Amino acid sequence: MTTWVDTSCIITVFLALIILSNYRVTAMIRIFALQSFVLSLLPFFLHAYSLSGRDIFIVIVTMVLKAALAPSILFWAIRHVSMRSEIKPILGFGSSIILGVILIAGAFWVSSSLKLPGGKPASDLILPCSLSTVLLGFMIMVTRTRAVTQVLGYLILENGIFLFAVSLFDVMPVLIEMGILLDIFVAVFIMAIVVNHINEEFEKDLASVSRSKMGETF
Amino acid sequence: MFIVFSILSHWLIVLALSPLFAGIIAKIKAFFAGKKGPSYFQLYFDLRRLFMKNCVYSRSTTWVFRFAPIVNLAAVLVLSLIIPLGSFKAPVHFSGDILLAAYVLGLARFFMIIAALDTSSSFEGMGASREAFFSCLSEMVLFMNFITLAFLTHSISLSTMIGADIPMSWKMAGTVLLLVVGSLFIVLLTENSRIPVDDPDTHLELTMIHEVMLLDHSGVDLGFMLYASAIKLFIFAGILVPIVYPVQTGIPLLDTLIFLGGMLGLSIVIGVVESTMARLRLNRVRNLLLIAFALAFFGFVVKMWKG
Repeated sequence: MTTWVDTSCIITVFLALIILSNYRVTAMIRIFALQSFVLSLLPFFLHAYSLSGRDIFIVIVTMVLKAALAPSILFWAIRHVSMRSEIKPILGFGSSIILGVILIAGAFWVSSSLKLPGGKPASDLILPCSLSTVLLGFMIMVTRTRAVTQVLGYLILENGIFLFAVSLFDVMPVLIEMGILLDIFVAVFIMAIVVNHINEEFEKDLASVSRSKMGETF
Repeated sequence: MFIVFSILSHWLIVLALSPLFAGIIAKIKAFFAGKKGPSYFQLYFDLRRLFMKNCVYSRSTTWVFRFAPIVNLAAVLVLSLIIPLGSFKAPVHFSGDILLAAYVLGLARFFMIIAALDTSSSFEGMGASREAFFSCLSEMVLFMNFITLAFLTHSISLSTMIGADIPMSWKMAGTVLLLVVGSLFIVLLTENSRIPVDDPDTHLELTMIHEVMLLDHSGVDLGFMLYASAIKLFIFAGILVPIVYPVQTGIPLLDTLIFLGGMLGLSIVIGVVESTMARLRLNRVRNLLLIAFALAFFGFVVKMWKG
């Protein structure tokens, strides 16, 4: 089962990289949903031979919250502000990818000297991959100017932390996990509202001041 | 004696089957478009027709233009000797032949580009500059993949890198190979001007790359160029298939059949990808290639991490 854990770790990082290089918000949200789906299956792979009710519960809750609810709230948010494409990232897409690759290499390099407390994790890829995902999510937050994409970056960062938490699955009481999930959910919910308001303000501004000037870039 | 036989049988397979490979892809695309499509053997008919014709040369061209198709076909034929087909070792193999493979490819491309520039048509020059740009990115990706494969199999000869040692590597580092396969597939689509990068079917569009460089070639020359690009596609597929599907039985005939089955599967995959994807805008092709590079580099990092 280590192969499956490895594969899901690598897919997680790869999807974060794809999101980083994407220019459409709808596609970014869909890929985020896919990433969360892959992550939510991880407990199955980790405890393939001794599945408990707790595993199944965690899988289902994660899937519903991260892979279904969070993306649909984001979709709802962008539909409300009728914003379809990322307009001006601070960093170009090409340099984003190159920097992302460097970050991944850095994460692997750093985690070679990190030792986890407790038992050995199921796969030695979990730690570097979670670090890479956190860094990539952070980079999306920093280099994208739109509020929705920043929320997405935050969610990807959370996915990285989730990946890290999964490796400490056995020592972690279920309540803490639920707390984390609820935290994310509330954060997305609040941010969706915030995004909505901010973008409505922007819309008003644009409509009154420089609609014609912006014309072609939309 | 054996080497002569091996070279001849290698060439026989490559020369005889590469137009069919392109034909299957065209048929799959026609199926997706809801058309009957040209016959599987259309490229054979085209080549036969072209080989019976004379060449027409523009007065502004020089010997470079006449030289290019011959160099192109010769380079791909030499390249096909280095690439192992299925589980067989290539007729020519030595330590470090990956470099030769990459540079023979580069030679073919170089002559194609200067022949396009030699016609002094601005249209062809545009295609040439695009080809040069994309191929220099895809060569970087190709080398990154070769480096990862070399670390996996502890050899720098294509015959052991993608032929013999791959089944072992899937057990040890399947995830790394998954990344390599994804990245090599993008390289295959780019190098052979398939759809997300370039449309092989259009002849007069501003975004095309490969076809535009063939516009001034005619007759036998055009036949050489078309044959060379069909063989190139076959060779790239031949690199990819043994990595994806490393089944070795030890019986030569059965191995050949397995390899050909894999090639058939890959041609269907290429056809489906080409039918379901739209061509990327020209300035986004660079991003696609950078993602392929990221995949390859990520595979390399994971390989180094796993040790």
